[in-house]
Amino acid sequence: MTSLAPDDPEATGPYPRMPGGGVSRRPLHFIILADCSGGMKGEKIQALNFAIADMLPHLAAWERDQEQAQVFIRAIAFATEPWWHIAEPQPVAGLGWKPLQPVPKGLTNMGPAFTLAARALAPGRIERRALRPAMLLITDGLATDPPGGFEAGLSALMDAPAGQAALRLAIAIGRDARSAALDRFIGDPGVPVLVADSSEDIADRLVAASLAVSRMSEVGADRGAVARRLLGPSGDVPSRIFDQDTIV
Amino acid sequence: MAMAANSTTGSTTGSITGGIVTWQVVTGSARGATHRVSGLPNQDAVASHDGPGGVVVAIADGHGHVRHFRSADGAALAVGVACRVASETAAALAADDADDQEAERAGQELARAVVADWRSAVAGQLEARPYTVEEQFILDRSADTPVIPYGATLLVALITARWLVCAQIGDGDMLAVRPDGASFSPVAGDDRLDGRRTTSLCQPDALASFRTGAHDLHQVPLAALLLATDGYGNAQADEPWQPRVGRDLAELAACQDRHWFGQEVPGWARRCASAEGSGDDATIALLLPGAGQDSGTPDAEEGAGRGQRPWTG
Repeated sequence: MTSLAPDDPEATGPYPRMPGGGVSRRPLHFIILADCSGGMKGEKIQALNFAIADMLPHLAAWERDQEQAQVFIRAIAFATEPWWHIAEPQPVAGLGWKPLQPVPKGLTNMGPAFTLAARALAPGRIERRALRPAMLLITDGLATDPPGGFEAGLSALMDAPAGQAALRLAIAIGRDARSAALDRFIGDPGVPVLVADSSEDIADRLVAASLAVSRMSEVGADRGAVARRLLGPSGDVPSRIFDQDTIV
Repeated sequence: MAMAANSTTGSTTGSITGGIVTWQVVTGSARGATHRVSGLPNQDAVASHDGPGGVVVAIADGHGHVRHFRSADGAALAVGVACRVASETAAALAADDADDQEAERAGQELARAVVADWRSAVAGQLEARPYTVEEQFILDRSADTPVIPYGATLLVALITARWLVCAQIGDGDMLAVRPDGASFSPVAGDDRLDGRRTTSLCQPDALASFRTGAHDLHQVPLAALLLATDGYGNAQADEPWQPRVGRDLAELAACQDRHWFGQEVPGWARRCASAEGSGDDATIALLLPGAGQDSGTPDAEEGAGRGQRPWTG
């Protein structure tokens, strides 16, 4: 129950005794879902690893600059089956990215990855005071789930209140990967799938996505304009995906 | 009536209820760090009043969304209306030897009167200060009714010689602290409050979203009652934060005088509202009993008012 000294009337401290266990910023959970199917081998997975490693400092810089959120990263890799690449929420500041490896002949089954994420976002598994989570799906191919598999995973995600509330973005590596399935994952017709036409584009798209995610909690910004700028000319994003503090 | 808003503020009021218990209200309110950066004002409001029936306190949190562009006004109107209505309720409760059912009904009636009077107050302000062209454009674009821009939460509590009566709509927290440090929420929870959306005075069915509670202070003496907007709870590192805050408040109430609280509580609000905390506007109203408070009986340790939610751990 101690704190720091103030220099101005709106600064904090000093407080010899403040009840409770101290204060901290509100958590912003960012879950990366990365395609590690067989088709990602070679240049694609290298570019993906580079792009994610490049994105993290951008998020860390934003975290330092804003006044509200503390960003925590988790990552799910998926192919025929999903697995946690980063299972426990890690503060983005100082987080190093351990490169992903593709699964030889691995399929692109998205449903089980959604289910895994849903478990992490279940009530009681995420702080009540947490900001709206963010999820970023990156894939180079169409979903290969067995019949009903994609839908079951997406339903599990939507059944979790935090999953339903999450800002969900998707990056398609190659125009062929842009699919109705990704639109359904995003769940908002105003939010476009970000397309990386080449491996070189992946880093740019990830930075755009991370900026969109980070700006979601900035009060007072014209969020629709921010989203349109960051997500491309077709991204006429309804402001409601970023809204906070309005009525039920 | 003491009111505070729009900046870092603090105030205290005191009340003698039936010549038995003195309750003091200590308040603090601070503009959120994110509001400072974006130029938004402190959209919280707090007010208290001590009268012959007892002491009353109200806090409100104006919604930050652009749809609610007059929410700071809505919050200020809400605490003013709530204190006036609650004072009348307290006087009526103090005059009668109300039983627990009557106290429960008083809470429900308090909510009903607050909703009606707040809507009248909003209508009055709109008559005196109609929407500007710019405001009307936002209203039309949102297809909202004229009351929506004033949207705010409200937490109001009154304490008489015997009764604690509370009413709440929207997010924020009430924490009743017993002398042994155990604590409980004097109103029921609401699963709809997910941290992003809240129930509100401005919604058409506001009365149905009010949560009320009445607690017999003879049966359950309190060491403190905390009311706070969500900028306070969202800043707390503990989850749940209520048990430790309750224990600490009971300890502090036992060893610190009211002057100390008057100095410290505004700082608590500032810290919660800072970039170290929630970054949101934070408002605290702390009610503390003074001389004459019954220190509790074995029966009192067992029971609590109806509808309370205990905090354990």
